[in-house]
Amino acid sequence: MTSIAKKICLLGDFAVGKTSLVRRFVYSLFEDKYISTIGVKVSRKTVAVPRADEVIELKMMLWDLAGSEEFSHVRASYLRGAAGAVLVCDLTRPETLDSLRTYASDLLGISPNAQFVLAANKCDLTEQQQLTEQQVKDLATALDAPYHLTSAKTGDEVESLFRHLGKRIST
Amino acid sequence: MTESSSGPPRHGQPGDSAPRSDPPVEELRSILFDRYRLRIAELEAELDALERQINDSDALAATIAPIIGDAIRRKIRDARDEMIEALYPIIGQTVVRAVSEAIRDLARNIDAQMRTSFSPRAVWRRLQAQVSGVSGAEMALRDSLPFAVDQVFLIHRETGLLLWYVSQSIDDSFDSELISGMLTAIRDFVQDTFGRGESGDLDEIQYGDWRILIETTQYAYLAVVVDGIEPSGFRAEMRERVIDINHTYEDTLRQYDGDNRPLAPVEPSLRSLVALTEPRELSTTQKRVLAVVSALAVLCLAVVCLGGGWAWRAARSTPTPQPITPEPTATYTVAPSPTPTTASSPTPTVTPSPTPTPTPTATPRPTSTPPPTPTPTAAPVLGVMTGNVWTHEGPYISSPPAELIEQGQPVEILAVSGDWYRLRWISRGQDEFVAWASARWVGTMMTIPASIVTPTAAP
Repeated sequence: MTSIAKKICLLGDFAVGKTSLVRRFVYSLFEDKYISTIGVKVSRKTVAVPRADEVIELKMMLWDLAGSEEFSHVRASYLRGAAGAVLVCDLTRPETLDSLRTYASDLLGISPNAQFVLAANKCDLTEQQQLTEQQVKDLATALDAPYHLTSAKTGDEVESLFRHLGKRIST
Repeated sequence: MTESSSGPPRHGQPGDSAPRSDPPVEELRSILFDRYRLRIAELEAELDALERQINDSDALAATIAPIIGDAIRRKIRDARDEMIEALYPIIGQTVVRAVSEAIRDLARNIDAQMRTSFSPRAVWRRLQAQVSGVSGAEMALRDSLPFAVDQVFLIHRETGLLLWYVSQSIDDSFDSELISGMLTAIRDFVQDTFGRGESGDLDEIQYGDWRILIETTQYAYLAVVVDGIEPSGFRAEMRERVIDINHTYEDTLRQYDGDNRPLAPVEPSLRSLVALTEPRELSTTQKRVLAVVSALAVLCLAVVCLGGGWAWRAARSTPTPQPITPEPTATYTVAPSPTPTTASSPTPTVTPSPTPTPTPTATPRPTSTPPPTPTPTAAPVLGVMTGNVWTHEGPYISSPPAELIEQGQPVEILAVSGDWYRLRWISRGQDEFVAWASARWVGTMMTIPASIVTPTAAP
């Protein structure tokens, strides 16, 4: 099976659940403390995706970037060479959705061909949700990206999220 | 109130020996002794726990370790000398053993170096040492320090994706892809945080004896994990390889799509870096420099030899106590005789033979006139050189040198001044020369006529 590797960034505000998505569903070697020390942690998610008339093994090297402001000066370096990004927002915090426009714009400025997939996380907290699916959908449409209502806690839609992105960046 | 309840119990626990039938007594007993029973039960439980802890060596160690640690720290602080004296027999031996092993390793390495001391690499190193003012011993010691390459990462600079990886050992637990990503992140972090806009890259990360040496090009960088101190020239080897890879696969690397199969041919190049723990071959540049230096050395040697030869010849041209041994052939004197007897056989080297001419045919005439007496001054005085000699413009050694005249060269002696002959000869190039040479180097079988001898030497 053909195997290729791509760099993917996880972008989103602080505490939207980026690291939780990574922690539970991808292979990681390093501790989360690196995110708070150098602002990033690299993990890997391998998915099988169709390409042309074959199925390839896609290794997505996930750069989980710190959402806090203190690492904004290095964020541009970390975005360099990314083939795509998972834009993560928190359904219980409306402002985290607005920030995704900035993140997407930053990445496109560095990697113009980057592909996105939008993850509206914490969908299990139904009673606390302050964002509607329509709001998420509107942004996804604006960014020309698919969206998934995910829950790192229950695992809802997480696999399909990564597979969807894998398909987009490998075609 | 019974008798037994009025006094203290004699056996067992307080109150245990008393009958329990009387409720008031029981109540009183409970009031008096329950707290003791409770305390006894607690003590029993603590005793059991303590017993378990003592019997369980792990638990005991865990319990007393912090206490011992604190006690040792305190003792070292308060009575350092005492602690050193107490620990020296143990630590001293350990240190001595470790140092001995290290020195043995060093000696083995130096032996290995000595065995290869005449290799081009060793010559190159000595040349470097001479140029840099480092002694050969220091250079040998430096070369003998332990060094090993453990892993080599070829990483795409922009994405941090692993392009190729080779390792000394096969370790499945080592995730080279994630390491390369994090390494790139660390590089970026250092560059952005400390670079402050300056051009430059992180070129080394050190942790204990392990170090990660980094060489960067436009599209890729090479990270080599090494143990020990790398020999000089190792970084140049790294640079050479990564530049070569960058140049060869420039198109692939510029728009890297994550498929590393086109980069498979880099494996031998990277693998050879792992093999560079032993003294290695010189690089092409080093070989060229060494060849030029060797050629210059040979040239200098040739010049010295030629100069020495010239000086030797010049020295030999001065009178040395080397007598001329004339040919043992018959020495004849030019004695004109009226009869053309040619009893003497001239040596083949002296030609033409100075036969006096003309010889009148003896025609018996009664009135014969006496034959004309040949004039000996008319015949050239011939000789031959017995050595390679520099001739001079004057009949003395301090006069300017003229021409080199070779051994065996036929000469004509034109004049004599002291121990010097004025010679005329025809060289191989048919040029005619006239110069002075010491008489010691000129062999002749002819008598020098007095007419060509200058009575006073003129030094």
